[in-house]
Order: sequence, then C-alpha cells, then structure tokens
Amino acid sequence: MSALFSVRDLRLSFPDRAHKPLFGAAPRNEVLKGFSLDIPEGQITGIVGESGSGKSTFGRVLVRLLEPDSGQVLFDGQEIGHLGEAALRPLRRDLQMIFQDPMSSLNPRHRVWRIISQPMKRYGRGGTKSDAIAALDKVGLPPAFAERYPHELSGGQRQRVGIARAIALEPRFILADEIVSGLDVSSQAQVLSLLKDLARDMGLTVAFISHDLSVIRHLCDNVIVLNHGEIVDHGPVAEVFERPSSEITKTLLSAIPLPELDAGWFDEP
Amino acid sequence: MKPHAHTLDVIKLNIALPNGRRLLRDVSLTLEPGEVRALVGESGAGKSMIGKSVLGILPPNVTITEGEILLEGQHLNMMTPATRRKTVAQSAALIPQDPLTALNPVRKIGPQIVDPLVRIQGWSRSDAEARALDLLDRVHIRDPKRVMGSYPHELSGGMRQRVLIAAAFAPSPRLIVADEPTTALDVTVQKQILRLIRELQQETGTAVLFVTHDMGVVAKISQKVTVLFAGKVMEDAPTPEVFTNPRHPYTRALIAATPSYADLDRPFSPVPAALIKDLHARIAQDDMLYTGGRR
Amino acid sequence: MADTTTSAPRARRIGPVNLRLWLPLLWIALVIAAAIFAPLLAPHDPLEQDLMLERLPPWFIAGSEPGYWLGTDSLGRDVLSRMIYGARIALIVSFTAALAACVVGTAMGLIAGFYGGWWDRVISRLVDIWMAFPPVLFAVLLVAVLGTGLGSVILAIAVIDWTRFARVIRAETMVQARMDYVDSARIGGARRMTALISEILPNILPSVIALLTLEMGIAVIVEAILSFVNLSISSDDPTWGAMIAEGRGAIHFAWWVLLFPLISLFLTVLSFSTLGEGLKRHFDPVLQ
Repeated sequence: MSALFSVRDLRLSFPDRAHKPLFGAAPRNEVLKGFSLDIPEGQITGIVGESGSGKSTFGRVLVRLLEPDSGQVLFDGQEIGHLGEAALRPLRRDLQMIFQDPMSSLNPRHRVWRIISQPMKRYGRGGTKSDAIAALDKVGLPPAFAERYPHELSGGQRQRVGIARAIALEPRFILADEIVSGLDVSSQAQVLSLLKDLARDMGLTVAFISHDLSVIRHLCDNVIVLNHGEIVDHGPVAEVFERPSSEITKTLLSAIPLPELDAGWFDEP
Repeated sequence: MKPHAHTLDVIKLNIALPNGRRLLRDVSLTLEPGEVRALVGESGAGKSMIGKSVLGILPPNVTITEGEILLEGQHLNMMTPATRRKTVAQSAALIPQDPLTALNPVRKIGPQIVDPLVRIQGWSRSDAEARALDLLDRVHIRDPKRVMGSYPHELSGGMRQRVLIAAAFAPSPRLIVADEPTTALDVTVQKQILRLIRELQQETGTAVLFVTHDMGVVAKISQKVTVLFAGKVMEDAPTPEVFTNPRHPYTRALIAATPSYADLDRPFSPVPAALIKDLHARIAQDDMLYTGGRR
Repeated sequence: MADTTTSAPRARRIGPVNLRLWLPLLWIALVIAAAIFAPLLAPHDPLEQDLMLERLPPWFIAGSEPGYWLGTDSLGRDVLSRMIYGARIALIVSFTAALAACVVGTAMGLIAGFYGGWWDRVISRLVDIWMAFPPVLFAVLLVAVLGTGLGSVILAIAVIDWTRFARVIRAETMVQARMDYVDSARIGGARRMTALISEILPNILPSVIALLTLEMGIAVIVEAILSFVNLSISSDDPTWGAMIAEGRGAIHFAWWVLLFPLISLFLTVLSFSTLGEGLKRHFDPVLQ
C-alpha cells in the first residue's frame, strides 16, 4: 500500500500571547512535537485525541492552511510543507476539507449553488448552476436546495453541502474535521454513511478527525491516537481497538458510552 | 403538609408558540426521589422545554397552554409568579449545557456559589462558604479555596462544569435538571462528569431529570427513560427494558443509529425516513383533533 | 432523505409595513425631489431680494402675503424657496462626501483587518492620530487652508470622517476573517484578495451601508456648521446652515427664518440615521 502523505518530524508551535512578557517575543506553545507517519492512499484514516491533542492543527497542516515550523510533508512524493501560497494553489484542488461547523464554513451571504460552483470555476471544472445541482445530487440533496442560503438548511443538510463542495473538485484527499460532532445521531449516521460511500466510490483518501472512537471504529481503516502533540498509538482500527498499546487509548475507549446496559461502566477508569 | 411520594409530576403538559405551533404535546412523566430519568430525543424534540417549564425559565414567547406541573406535590402553575420562583429556587436546580457561558465572567467563582445560598436559602455566609468548600471538594476540585477566588476564565471547561455541579447540589435540592451537561466536553471528561453527578445524586437522594440526545449516556446514567419525538412521548419505560426490549419503533431506530461495537459490518443506520414521515403524519392528525376539540 | 423534510421553505417576510424604514425614506425622497426639481418647485428666486417684503410671517400668521408660504427673511427673500434650493447643496455634499469617506475608510479597514501585521499597525496608528483632532475644528482648519467653496467642504468631510469607516470595518473584518468560510475559500483555491472581496466584503456590506447612511446625516450637519460660520460656499447661496445663522440674529421678531431650515435639517439627519439602522437589518438575510 503506497502512502499518499508521508509526514516526517513535524513540528509546529504557536505564540502564547497570554504569557507574553511586556518586552520581547511571546513564549511558544508546542502543539505538534515532531511526529512522523504515513497516510495510506485510498483508505480512511481516523485521527483521534482529546481537545488540545493537536489533531485539528495536524489536519490543517495536511491541507496546508497552516505552515509547520519544521519537518516534511510529502504529498504524493512532493514536499508541500513549506510551499508558498501561489505554488500551493494548483495543488489545493486535490487537498479538500470538510469543516466542523458548517454554519461558519458556508458563507452566509452566498446561495448554495454559488458556494459549490465557485471552486469548480477556479479550477476549470465547470461551475454552472447545473454542475452544482449535479454535486448536490451526489450527496442526496434535491435541486431546489441550490437556491437556498445556508441558514435555511438543517445541520445535516449543511454538512452535506460541505461534502458536495469538497467532492465537486474530484480531489484525491479530503480532511474531515469533526464533521458530525454538532449533529443528531440520525443525521450523524446519514452523513457518515454518505462519506463512506463516496470515499469508496471515488477512491478517496480521507483523514477523519474525531474525538469519538465508536464512530472511528465503524468508519475508518486505520487510526492514529494523538496526545499532547505526540502519536501514542496507531495502526489498523481492529488492532488498535483490540490491543491498545497506550493508556490514553484505553481511557478513550472505556470512556465511550455505548448504547448498551453496562452496570460496571462507572467502575472502569 | 403530607409528604408527597413523587418529586415531580408533569401531567399532560402542552406548550406552544404564540402562532399556535405546539412544542410539547400532552407530555406526562413522574420522577421519584433518588431517581434519574433521561429525556432523550433529537434536536427539536422538545426535551429541553420540559426542564425549562419545570424551572420556569421558558423563552418569553413560549407559553404553557395546558397541563399541570407538581413539584413535591405543590401545583406550580397555580402559584403567583413570586411564590413559584421561590418554591422552585428552594427545591430545584439546573446544571446547564454550556459551562463556558453559564458562569458570570466578571465575578469570582466563590460568590457565584455562595450568594444564592445566602439569598434564597437564607443561610449565614459562613455556613454557605463552608458548604461551597465542601461541595467543591466533593466534585474532586483539588484546591477549593483557590478555585473560590478564581475567575471562570482561569478554569478549563471540565473544571467549570464541576463548579456548576457543585453549585447545583449545594442547596440540597430535591430535583436537578441536567440539560445536556456533557455535550460540550471531551469523552473522557464526560465520563468523569457523569460519574460525579451519579455519586452526588446517590448520596443525597436528589432526583435528576437528565436531558440528552445520546442513547449511550441514557444507558449508563438513568433508571427511567422518556423518549420524545416532536414534543410527544414515544415511550416511557425503565432503562433496562428500553435497551433489552424497546417497544416503540422510534426508540429502536434511535438505539440503532448510535454507533456501537456490537455489529461492525452493519452500515450506519439513520432513523428511517419512512418512520419519521409516518410519525409526523400521526402527530399532524393529533393536532387537528386537538385544535378541533378546543373550538 | 429524511432530513430534507424538516427544513422550512424559503419565504420572504411580509409583515406590517416597516415604518422605521419607510418614514425616513419618504422624507429623504421628498428632499431629493426638492433638490432635483428646485427650479420648478420654488415659488420664487431664492436670491431675489425685496426690501418691501422683508420679514413676512408664514401663511398661518396674520400679516402674511399670499405666495410666501413660509415667510421671508430680513432681505425679503422667500424662506421656502431658499430651503428648497438649500436641499440641493445639502444633498450634493452629503452624498459625495459620505461616499468618498466610505470608499477610503472601508478600503483601509478591510486591509488592516484582513492582512494584519504592518498594514494594521500603520493604518490603526493613522486612525488614532486622526481621531485625536476635534472633528469640527479640523474641518474649519482644513477649509480655511483649502479656501471656501463646495469642493473644499466635501474634501474636508471626506478627509476627516474616513476614520469612522476604517475603525468599524477593521473590527468587523477581523471577526469575519476568523470564520471558517475564509479558510474554505482558500481550500477552494481562492487568492487572499479574492477571499477578501468576494467572501468577506458581502458579509460586512450591511455595516458599510448603515455607516454610509449615518455619514450622510453627519455630512449634512458638518456642511451646515461650516455654512453657519460662513466657511462653506458664498453666503449668498442658499444653504440650510447659512439660513440658520441668519435666522439666529432675528429669532425674536422673525423666528420662522431660523425654525424651518432647522426642522428640515433635523428631520434629514434623523432620517439618515434611522434609515441606516433599518437598512442594516433589511440587508441581513440571517436577521430577517
């Protein structure tokens, strides 16, 4: 299995403005502490961890919304970690993202069809209203939705529009950042099964960021467990779930409230 | 007064918007002392509205159109607003959903717990402070004195939720409404918070109305479940029964939609569209009879 | 799909007529009409003096002369005609000056708020320095340097008031720049500049429009103040400010010379600011 992404010794820190001295530079918080991993092509890789583990930051480095301090990010063999904005632009078509909060990631001033079609236009892949409607159809939304504004949709529908926008460019990679955390279980199941089907049909590589291991168990082929900017566990899901090698993973696993009776649940750590 | 057997009785509660849209439809439920009842449903099911009706904190445009609420046998909606406020403040408390906005950012934690005890319960300040310290300790806050003197922004989300739990349990209320208290938290913190609520609730014998959308949380924390859809009770049963033998198809669908490890090859299963359509149709029929009967 | 059934269809709200929007609009339309059709509407030449007809009272007071509805001033000029012609100057100044201030200030605010860093530091300092001057004094000073005349008045207002736009738009841009839709535009291959113009700008347009209308009201006042101290266009030309200045001296025996231009000034400024607020709500699809 070839790797779509190869990440080597990735480091990233943010200035800590809360502790900035009166004079001089603010101290820096290390968010990613030098980790290396491969993301295999054509598979869904789960990235899990608590808040503050660096999982979203890592995701944003992959799609190059953030530039790492040091280290390599190889995408299909090409180093993209330190490319400038202009050099990145042609690559962005292949590096798409679905955001956590679709209310904030869909421009409230634009109609749905415009939100979907603008990136298509930029990359010369159509971009008419009917192209947008075709993309909506792929995510199970009727053509009438093209004329709506984001606030006129339900949470699940908004998230589908986010998916439609990403897949309309036929990318090779999609980053899904906590895309179901704000949804009801039912919409959650719809969005996840949609993502799974699309990924399989289009041969997509997906990085799925979540704090919910039960979702990852169902959706992903591989999983990476992060804690304070370091990888504490990784491998095929079945393996990691059956033989977690770190305490963090064990705690995360036992914290999930599964929908079944379990009198001893509170007694586990 | 004769002690009433139930902590809370909600009888045929109906609430509606000014335009006549019904938010709760003939909801009835009871809560016994020391019991945790989960109110579960998807967004828009009206599950938060029940707790808000009891506490008297409904949004200004929402009104109770019909029904009774009894808190320890006292008819809340027959009281004057002032008496009602006092009764509720003395025997019920809320653990809110969002720990980040529920505490006043410009006041220290201490007074935010202590002041209501002095003002509403009529305790002396030193008693109230001792009680606050005791409860902060009970919710496993390491240095209660320091936390009392801190501002909310100095604490993490999980810590703030602990503070709010301490504040809710401090006056030894008979009823606590927990309105999705863990949705904003990480799973590991969620488990700690759920454990805390359970511990305190079992110690004090407080009844808890636990509002949630997560069937997993329902399974762990509650003894009874009320399943809601569009403001209507679909199923009301003891928790073990709901998970071993759910009677209503909607309950079954909700459980099936929640990811578990039971059947990994099974694809994600949302609540079937046909079922939702069917339920909406029945509710529309009910509504026609309801308004028809009132004319 | 299950969740397609739950969303409401798009609907335009048809409520009771929004008076906060329509009353000011009506008054401003009236003023605009007066300005455009001044030669047709004005019963007299606004400059024509007739000392035989000086200080005639308005129509509802004994001693009035037919045809001089709002009376005459101390030189026998028709108050109504002067007010109608005065609307021209008021509107020319308010539209051009406010628009100029708006374009400059909004551009500055967008750049400072979106690009941050040095851009922000330079522009923000500039705004701070600018706002340290008392605006009216600044205007008087500028016009004194530039020389009187309509052009100088417009320039002075624009030069002073761009900071109002820059400050508000900068803050709003900073909020919007943090929204995910900006990142998602970048993911979709948009240049930074494109993201600013086609994604952020539409979101702050309601504020720009509200500020612009507000600024029009302010420009009317500033022009009146400059006329009042005789620094606007030549004192012969009918402006509301100059009329108020003249009327002030005769308030005890010819109060109408002061009162009527004052009322129209007041109503115009009030209308612009109410309209600004109303428009902001009207243009916001989320608030609707």
